[in-house]
Amino acid sequence: MTGIEACVFAIVSLMAIVGALGVVFCRNPYHSALWMVFSFVGIAGLFALLQAYFLTALQIIVYAGAIVVMIAFVMMTIDFRKVRGLSKFVPQWLWGLIISFGILIDLFILTSKMKIDVSQAGKNLAIAGSNTKALGMELFTSYLFPFEMVAVILLVALIGVVVLTKRGIK
Amino acid sequence: MQYYVPFLMVAFILFAVGAIGVLVRRNFFVVLMSLEIMINSAGLVFVILSYFSGTISGQVFFIFVAAVAASETAVGLAIAVLMYRVRHTVDVTEFSIMKR
Repeated sequence: MTGIEACVFAIVSLMAIVGALGVVFCRNPYHSALWMVFSFVGIAGLFALLQAYFLTALQIIVYAGAIVVMIAFVMMTIDFRKVRGLSKFVPQWLWGLIISFGILIDLFILTSKMKIDVSQAGKNLAIAGSNTKALGMELFTSYLFPFEMVAVILLVALIGVVVLTKRGIK
Repeated sequence: MQYYVPFLMVAFILFAVGAIGVLVRRNFFVVLMSLEIMINSAGLVFVILSYFSGTISGQVFFIFVAAVAASETAVGLAIAVLMYRVRHTVDVTEFSIMKR
């Protein structure tokens, strides 16, 4: 990594982590939603550093644009005093912290042990300078059947949500 | 130290922070948001290893992860609306209606 890349990496990873901490530790859920946008923009910056330019756009459009707005809209239909009147943490919060730090230490040990062949790093990610073209070629040739299955999953989720929420309405 | 290690560290820290949010918070919407962060950090590991091993399959899998995460959020929000209709709260500790 050159100097400027390391600088950009520090900024975007700090954005992602600070945003995630803001989601977890904000009292107001609307502020959590805004921190989530911040965190996802940081992750999109990490994708740009890793030369996944199509996924950078996808991250901002789908996550920061669609999912956060969907959660915020549904929160607006809930009585705000009920939402904000919650106490913040469950009674067993200490166990949650211990389990999460255990996961973190475990994954760090795994990272220090793992070996990857990095001789191909940064290659094969674009055809004729276009990351989107390479991604589309791979998606619609090798992964065509999983792609169709994902479409079925989205349809099932759509029908399931309509069936679930329509039940009480006459 | 290899230079893919800091990227993986960031992804794992994000995963752990999301796990804290899922296990600790009471508000169901914040739990859903923390779940989104956990799924997104798993997708980030896909993209990191796709870059450093020089294959594009990891980026394809991030698209699948994003689609499944979107449908999961939609179903989770439907459950939140239903539980609010039944229980008039979004507190996850009040959600144990199957436990008798």
